[in-house]
Amino acid sequence: MTWLKLVEGYMPIQMISELAICILFFSMVNYALGKAGAKVPKFWAGVFVWLFIQAYLKFRIYPPIPFSVRAIYGTVSFCGVFMWVSGSQAEWDEFKRPILNVMDAQTPMLKAIRTVALIALPLALGGYGWNSFQPSFEEPIELRTVHPAPPATTKVHGKTFVLQTSQNPFRVNKEGKYDQKYSDERIVVQDMGRLMKDVNSPDFNPWDPNAEGYTKYVREGGEIFFQNCNFCDGDNLNGRGLWAYAFNPIPANFTDAGTIAQLQETFVFWRVSQGGIGLPPEGFPWASVMPPWKQHLTTDEIWKVVMFEYWHTGYYPRTWD
Amino acid sequence: MLYEAYMRNKMSKMKLTHQNGGEGFVLVLGLSLILSGGVAWGQDEEIPEGFKMGARPAKPSAEQIEAGKRVYFTKCVWCHGVKGEGDGPSADRLWPRPRNFTQGTFKIRHTASGELPLIDVDLFQTVTHGLPGSAMPSWEGILTEQQRKDALAFVTTQLVQDRDWQDEEFESFTVLQLDQIKPVESTPESIKAGSELVVKNKCIECHGLEGRGDGNAFNLKDDWGFPIQPADWHKCWNFRGSRQDAYNKKNIFRTFSTGLNGTPMPSFADNTTIEERWNIANYVNSLCERKDEININGGKVSDEIATALSKGQPLPIDPMTDKPKSNFVVPSKYVEGELPTDEHDERWKIAPRRWIAMGGQITHKPRNFVNRIDDIWVQSLYNDTHITFLFQWDDRTKSMQEEEVDWDPTEVNLADYGVEEQPPVTGEAGSIAARQNKYTVYNDGLAFQFPIKWQELPFPRKPRYFWGDEKFSVDLTKWTADGTIQAYEGTGWDQDFNERDFAEQLEVKKAEWKNGRWTLLIQRPLKGDYDEDAELVPGNYIPMVFFGWDGHNCDVGRKMAVSAFYYLVMEPQIPKEAYIYPVLMAIGMVGIEGWVLTRRSNRRKGKVIT
Repeated sequence: MTWLKLVEGYMPIQMISELAICILFFSMVNYALGKAGAKVPKFWAGVFVWLFIQAYLKFRIYPPIPFSVRAIYGTVSFCGVFMWVSGSQAEWDEFKRPILNVMDAQTPMLKAIRTVALIALPLALGGYGWNSFQPSFEEPIELRTVHPAPPATTKVHGKTFVLQTSQNPFRVNKEGKYDQKYSDERIVVQDMGRLMKDVNSPDFNPWDPNAEGYTKYVREGGEIFFQNCNFCDGDNLNGRGLWAYAFNPIPANFTDAGTIAQLQETFVFWRVSQGGIGLPPEGFPWASVMPPWKQHLTTDEIWKVVMFEYWHTGYYPRTWD
Repeated sequence: MLYEAYMRNKMSKMKLTHQNGGEGFVLVLGLSLILSGGVAWGQDEEIPEGFKMGARPAKPSAEQIEAGKRVYFTKCVWCHGVKGEGDGPSADRLWPRPRNFTQGTFKIRHTASGELPLIDVDLFQTVTHGLPGSAMPSWEGILTEQQRKDALAFVTTQLVQDRDWQDEEFESFTVLQLDQIKPVESTPESIKAGSELVVKNKCIECHGLEGRGDGNAFNLKDDWGFPIQPADWHKCWNFRGSRQDAYNKKNIFRTFSTGLNGTPMPSFADNTTIEERWNIANYVNSLCERKDEININGGKVSDEIATALSKGQPLPIDPMTDKPKSNFVVPSKYVEGELPTDEHDERWKIAPRRWIAMGGQITHKPRNFVNRIDDIWVQSLYNDTHITFLFQWDDRTKSMQEEEVDWDPTEVNLADYGVEEQPPVTGEAGSIAARQNKYTVYNDGLAFQFPIKWQELPFPRKPRYFWGDEKFSVDLTKWTADGTIQAYEGTGWDQDFNERDFAEQLEVKKAEWKNGRWTLLIQRPLKGDYDEDAELVPGNYIPMVFFGWDGHNCDVGRKMAVSAFYYLVMEPQIPKEAYIYPVLMAIGMVGIEGWVLTRRSNRRKGKVIT
């Protein structure tokens, strides 16, 4: 469905509301048909709703969810449908009736259906057995911790930084003092597009020739980002860079509310400077192509890049208090 | 051609406006007669088939331009630069370089060759869908439709300097009516006709006999003097104008009809009919990689080949990346007897082809910012003693280094020998794009690694993707285009390789560069020395990483292309149980059915009695 995209960050709420709207729609159709005298048998209504949810999960959600997860959703929705069809004795009887009718086979038509069902069921089970006995080699699921616990300190270019107390030396106000409130006022606006507040003011536009202090450092950070990081992390910092397709794990999406917005700035500084190879084992250091940036950048450059990432995504770094 | 028509139209008018005397008029008339070669010129210019004169884009409001400026300086300036000269901070490490807007030259258009693009169609689609194969991403879902249009209002009025969409005297819009032209169906006849037309129209001179962009690939330049490569028709997902719809032949028809301004790709609107253009589009589209490999015999397409091409199933495209979907399991199938010695062996048909995505190595110095090997196809077969890998990858140039290098093949730290990465800011003259094609040529190469003792790895631990680590070393097999094959032990990205005796048992069955593609067949024993060589055992997931070098891209040492982790799985034969249990399950089901039905009918009988 290209015309209706699942938006990162809003996906769960989109899914739930889409399913709810569909179910509501089906109920209305069901009600209308009932009024018109063409009542849908409860049995078929239940089967349809359950199959619809399965199809929705399989075909609508992208990237695809693994079968094991879908099986859980399938069981839960089965229970839901079962509760719906067995709400009262009358409803349960109504639900059972088509099945019993086929078993009793009182008319030639039902007899034919029964014969087909009796042959198809063993065949389907045998076929399922055959399939499950085939050696199958799906990609193994390896669960990686994306934001592992950081160390207490990190050493970059001979200097030790304590993650609890270190501050970004470029996040400063006009007096040159560390001032997160000052910088938070100057990041991009957190709405669609995430654009800078005022393109004609040196206070907000890093590219203004008169930009100074924090705003100028943001531009310098951006210049470093766009010479080094954009290849993977992407021109919009969404992890969809030129080569993102080749790597597994894929680069982090900084515009998602679950990445840098949830982290302290010093955590990001540690991740950037030490790179993939500096991760603890639960972060799969062997698989990450993230460079240890201390091999390529100075400490000041790393701090500026980190600050740029917060500026461009419009997020505040989390603080310790 | 239309571009020439446009230029002489413009030139003539300029002369007319600047010179008023009768003398001048005669001179101009004479000049235009010579230039036009007797053909009607000016507004009477014949419109090519399938085109219609289109409307001039509306002039954007001052507010819209101002809103666009805000978008531009937040998102676009980083590549395209403050003045739109395509010289933002990232420009020097990108190839293709970001577009320089000042001249108003845009590649992908519905308008005739030489004309400005349609803002709301062509430029809007470029911003919306991005330009695959370059750093320009899709801005859909990031910027709203209005924001994208605002940015274009700013770019087209403030940054394009030399031309003006509102200039009624010089700018007209001859628009390809793509939606009104009925496509010709992609039949074997059409594909075959297309294969003949690409020869007749000299497409193959640049794009190569099989369309892998390996023709006149090394001498082409764009209007700014930067080297440019002809498209590889086998990778339609990299077509700049593919609009996130890789297998849509309309995109090819459009490019072929309007040409790519600023590049050597001309428009063929004047010298081909619409039907011929569709035939070419059908042929080019059919060459884009499909599920099964189709050998097109150097472009000599027979009826059988044309039929096979017309039936090819497109690869599924991953909407997250707009590239083919990756599958990280590389299956190897069991065969009896000797393993194949070339790629034409029928038995390759049972081994699925896997698409291995390759990115530039940008973890450690020297980083590879311009990666020319972006994928490798691999297939594998094994027997009781050996395993064989068939690698095929597109490479426009066969590269063999001419001079001896100073370092030993086992050395990996080559900075001392002058192999360094592109420094960050060097200005236009020293940028990657300017230096491209002027690098020292090294050997093409391909390598792959397994953990040596993968059996002992605590799940999910692996040796580092980049030539292993101290604790777990890797079994590296490296082939280079000079014909050598080596077995190394890798213990880290900056550690020199250790040679292994296993090299004596490695066999290169075939290594051939033909029509822009390498075909490489490497065979190795399943077993070696347990402590030194990876032992490959069926039924296991064995981590595998691929590396590629393009010698004409100055790829050497760590400057290379690299893949993510894949798993080699040698699929064991079907176990006996697979034949027994399904039958038992089916019989069991019949039993259950009998029991349920008997119970039901007994119960009904009971009911009837009472």
